[in-house]
Amino acid sequence: MTRLVRAELLKVFTTRMVWGMLALSLGFTAIGLVALSVLSGAQGVPAVTGPEGVRNLFSQAGTGLVFAFVIGTLLMTGEYRFQTITYTFLVTPRRERVVAAKLAACAVVGLLFGLAGIALAFAVAIPALLIRGASLSLIGGDVARVCAGVVGAMALYAILGLAVGSLLRNQVAAIVVGVGWVYVLESILVALLPSVGKWLPGGAAQAVYGVSSPFGSGYLPAWGGAALLVGYAAVFAAVASLTTIRRDIT
Amino acid sequence: MPAIEIRNLSKSFGAVRAVDDVSFTVEAGTVTGYLGPNGAGKTTTLRSLLGLVAPDSGEALVNGRRYADLARPVCEVGAVLEATNFHPGRTARDHLRVLCAAAGLPEARAEQTLGQVGLADVARKRVAGFSLGMRQRLALATALLGEPRILILDEPANGLDPGGIQWLRGFLRFLADDQGCAVLVSSHVLAEVEQTVDDVVIIAGGRMVREGTLAELTSAGDRGVRVAGAGVERLRARLEAAGATVESPQDGVLLVHGAPPETVGQAALDERVVLSELVRERSDLEAVFMELTAAPGGPPPPPVAGAVTGAPGSAS
Repeated sequence: MTRLVRAELLKVFTTRMVWGMLALSLGFTAIGLVALSVLSGAQGVPAVTGPEGVRNLFSQAGTGLVFAFVIGTLLMTGEYRFQTITYTFLVTPRRERVVAAKLAACAVVGLLFGLAGIALAFAVAIPALLIRGASLSLIGGDVARVCAGVVGAMALYAILGLAVGSLLRNQVAAIVVGVGWVYVLESILVALLPSVGKWLPGGAAQAVYGVSSPFGSGYLPAWGGAALLVGYAAVFAAVASLTTIRRDIT
Repeated sequence: MPAIEIRNLSKSFGAVRAVDDVSFTVEAGTVTGYLGPNGAGKTTTLRSLLGLVAPDSGEALVNGRRYADLARPVCEVGAVLEATNFHPGRTARDHLRVLCAAAGLPEARAEQTLGQVGLADVARKRVAGFSLGMRQRLALATALLGEPRILILDEPANGLDPGGIQWLRGFLRFLADDQGCAVLVSSHVLAEVEQTVDDVVIIAGGRMVREGTLAELTSAGDRGVRVAGAGVERLRARLEAAGATVESPQDGVLLVHGAPPETVGQAALDERVVLSELVRERSDLEAVFMELTAAPGGPPPPPVAGAVTGAPGSAS
C-alpha cells in the first residue's frame, strides 16, 4: 500500500499544477494575514493583541482550502482526462486499493498545504505581534488547535475534491462545482441560513479553528466540528470508491 | 495451459452487443492477430481480458487466472491499448517512474524500457511535445516495464510511420521467437499484421467468424496458378488434357485451376514456351478478411484488387 501512495504522490508532484495551487493558497493566506495585521483593532477586526485576534490570524493558514480541493480533483479527473486511468488499473487491478492510495495521497497533500500555510502564518504573526507589543505567549494551545484544524480541513477538502472528481470525471465541471460551492453556495448558505451553515464542511472547519461566526450564530464546538469533518471525509471516500470501482474503463 | 484463454466471452453496452460468445486461446511463443473492422469488438475483448471491462458472461484468463487475481500483473502481462494517453505535463521518464512505484519495480526499469523502444534521448522531455508515434512507443515501454511473457496490443501500429511499423513487426517477432512471449495483437489494417502473425482470429459484429493459422486461412482462398509468356496459349490444350480448367484473363496470361505449378512448368518445357511468370496465386489475408467480415445485406464487396502473389509471411 505504501508504494501505491508513493506512486499517487509522484503523480501529484511530477506536474507543475501542484506548485501553482500551493502558490495561490499561500497567496490568499498572505493577503488575509497582512489584512488582519494591518487592520488589527480597527473596524470590528479583533486586535491581534488578544486571543481572538491571534486565533483569527492563524486561521488564515486555511484560506486556500479550495486549492487543496483542486489538487484532489485533478488527481482523479486528470486520470480520465488524459486516459492514464488505464495504466493505473493495469498496474493495480484491485481498484479499491487505488482509491485508498489516492485518499491517502490527498491527506498528505492537504497536510503539506496546511503546514505551508501555518509556516507562513507564523512568519507574519510573530513580527505582527511584536510590532503591536503583544506577548508571544498568546501563541499557545488555541493556536495549536487552529493549526490542527487547518491541516484537517485541507486534507478534507483534497479528499472532497477527489470524490467530486470521481463522480463527475470531467475536470472542468468538477473544478467549477468545487469552486462554486466553496466561494458561492456555501458562503450564501452560511450567511442566510447559519443554522444550516454550521453543518457544512466550511462551517465544520471554522468550528475547529474556533473562530467566531461573523453572523453571530455559534459554530459547533471544536470536537463536533472535527467529528463532522471526519464524517464528511468518510462519506466522500465512500462515494469515490463506489463510483470508481464499478465503472468499465473503455 | 494457454497463456491467454477467452471462453464464451460476451459483453453488451446498453443495447449493443459488443462481444458475443467469443472463444480462443493464444500459446506462448506465438503471435496471434485479432482482426476485425472498426467496432467489431476487438477492444472490448482485450479490455475484458485486462480487467478494465467487466464481461456479462464467459471468462477471459491470462495464465489461467483472471487479470485482477494476478499477484503482480505487470510482470505477467504487458498491454498497449487504444484510448490511452499520457499527462502532457509529465516527462516520459516520470510516467514510467509512477508506474514503477505503483508496481514495486526498480526505477531503473524506466530508463531500460525507454532505451528498448528508442526513446532514451527524450526521456526527460514532457510528453506534450511527443508525436503520435513517440507516444505509441512510450505506451509500448509501459507494457515492457515488468518484463512480461504475455503482451496484448490494441492497434499498436496506429500513428507509426512505415519505419516504425517495420520496427514494431521485428520487435513482436523478437518477443515471440527469442523471448517465448505470447503476443496478441489487434488490427483493422491487415497489411500491418499479415507479415507478423502465426495465428489469426477474425471477429465481425462481436462474433467470431474464423480462427486458424495464417497459412490455413490464406490457402483456403487458393486462386490457381498464373502463367505468363508470349506463346502461353500453346499450353492450353495440354493443360486441359491434364484435367485443368484454363482461363485467359488477358493476352499472354493464363490462369490455371486444378493443376499444380509443376504440371504447368512441365507443359511449358514440353511445348518449349518461354515463360515470364509462373506463380501460385493466393488470396491474401485482406481478401479473405473482406469475404468473411462483409456484413450480410451490406454493400457488395469491392472487386479484389491484385491478389498478392507468393507465400504469405515470406517478407518481413
